[in-house]
Amino acid sequence: MNRDTYKIDREGLRTLIGYMIREYRVIGPVMRGGSVSFERIGDPSALLLNYRGKALLPVKKFFLPPREVLFEYEILNGDVKIKDRLSASPPEKTILFGVRACDIAGLEIMKKTFSRHFEDPYVLSRLENTIVIGVMCDAALPTCFCYQADTGPLPRGGFDMFLVPLDDYYLVDVGSRKGMEIVLGNKDLFSRASPGDIALRDSKVRELIEAMKKSNTPRLSTLYDTLIKSYESDLWSDYAENCLSCGKCNFACPTCYCFDVHDEVDLSLKRGARVREWDSCHFLSFTRVASGEIFRKDRSSRIKQRIYHKLVYSVNDIGIISCVGCGRCIEVCPTSIDLREVMRRIMGVRAL
Amino acid sequence: MKNPYIPEKAMIEDFRDETPDTRTFRIRILSQRGSKGFQFSPGQFIELTVFGYGEAPFSISGKVDDCSLEITVRRIGTVTRALFKKKVGDIVGIRGPFGRGWPVEKLHGKDTLIIAGGLGLAPLRSLIQHIMENRKSFGRVILLYGARTPMDLLYKEEIKEWRGFIEVHLTVDRGDESWRGRVGVVTVLFDEISVDPQNTIALQCGPPIMMHFVSKKLKQLGFPDENIYLSLERLMKCGMGFCGKCTVSGTYVCLYGPVFCYSEIRGFVEKIPEAGV
Repeated sequence: MNRDTYKIDREGLRTLIGYMIREYRVIGPVMRGGSVSFERIGDPSALLLNYRGKALLPVKKFFLPPREVLFEYEILNGDVKIKDRLSASPPEKTILFGVRACDIAGLEIMKKTFSRHFEDPYVLSRLENTIVIGVMCDAALPTCFCYQADTGPLPRGGFDMFLVPLDDYYLVDVGSRKGMEIVLGNKDLFSRASPGDIALRDSKVRELIEAMKKSNTPRLSTLYDTLIKSYESDLWSDYAENCLSCGKCNFACPTCYCFDVHDEVDLSLKRGARVREWDSCHFLSFTRVASGEIFRKDRSSRIKQRIYHKLVYSVNDIGIISCVGCGRCIEVCPTSIDLREVMRRIMGVRAL
Repeated sequence: MKNPYIPEKAMIEDFRDETPDTRTFRIRILSQRGSKGFQFSPGQFIELTVFGYGEAPFSISGKVDDCSLEITVRRIGTVTRALFKKKVGDIVGIRGPFGRGWPVEKLHGKDTLIIAGGLGLAPLRSLIQHIMENRKSFGRVILLYGARTPMDLLYKEEIKEWRGFIEVHLTVDRGDESWRGRVGVVTVLFDEISVDPQNTIALQCGPPIMMHFVSKKLKQLGFPDENIYLSLERLMKCGMGFCGKCTVSGTYVCLYGPVFCYSEIRGFVEKIPEAGV
């Protein structure tokens, strides 16, 4: 990795983003209503070059929007005309700036999921048209566990460039040909990183890891077998007592991708649209079939669905765990269910 | 990249009522699929769009020719109610076929025991049609079929014809004045037959509660797990392994099902009623 390591100063980064805004749709972190939110950047000065922690909502909203029209149709004299939304408005070339290692892993999981048997052209074309420029966290939040999820603090891949803030400059890892083109196209802004810079970065990474180790969360990759044996464990009913089935953990999760599909039709019944909308496996209606049968009636079966999907089913399905350790589900849970505590109990370890 | 969410246009070619709330629709694909036409294996499903109402999954209940297929539908939800208002010649949308059907190859040279409840006979009808067309490849074939009342029995006329090719045993939950046959749930029919579990493949489709008891019964009779197959009903919204609504123990029913071998179901972490345990 050192071979492709550069540095850029704060001023240089501002200049670079200024160039990018002219050519690309740039999405990055801004302050909105007192919290960090990823938005399309119009004014480069609004962009946060660095920020504490992570945005409340992950960047999946740009790739799998909360609600999206798949296609529209018109019923004309007994015939039907279908208009594909995707070919009508293909995705813009996008730069995603400031995204954390955990969320980069989330995008990688989305990419695997939406291309494994069939290809979802909506999600994939957006991902393909996006250049990912990540920024490492300055500090680990109390809810962070990317280290235990093996997704951070440095990303395991899936980025074009990854910046590590050091004093008044950034160390730049190049992760792809597109990332390299950015460096080569703006040579005056970048310089080679020195071994000293890299040592500084490594010590920052160690600092973040040490902070995360304090939660004594087991490494997520070690839970698979124990979880399989624990499906009937009593501990699930404890969580079922508390869980409100509100679905906030799903909506805040960078890798929860499940959705519902329905048609929306205008009053004339002549024009309609097929719409997909985020859904939640915590909702009772999630598994309801036309006959009225509901396959996950017990709240504990729905809690298990989400956790087992992340840590067991996902390994069977796409080969990797799909919890990225961002901690958002812990932050948003109205009854303070902490996934790390669930994992500690499963593995029989205590918080330090 | 072809957009797999966009349905192909198809036309309602014909329909006939099976029961007061169930109808078989013959649907012709209008788009060009080349010389291959619409190829499917018995037990697979399609996603059908009634424009203006929505899309829902239906198992394919029969083959007509290379461009036409049949589905048997109960009027129960929004899409099916709208479908029942459609006339011959009306346009609908179709995607698929999706999923994995019955293990047809595995049945060759073996005996086949088919157990169906209610509308569960629909995905098995396309298999029975295939067996009748290739009768010599299959050993003894027995159908055990149960419905709520005599009026709810599907394919009544066809079943008479099936009797010339396969053994048919019927039962109803509640009889009427004219009913002379068995009364009781489908498992009562097991006392009318004798099979060799080692050389028989059992295929079942019906309500979860029926499959729960049939699975139990088959295990009692000594059927090995590998000789039992079930078609699971789940909400296959997208059909492509994305929407997540049909998963069972993390396995996408739309991709790896709806037909599963009992040995797969027994291996699931998440317990399901159809497993019978």
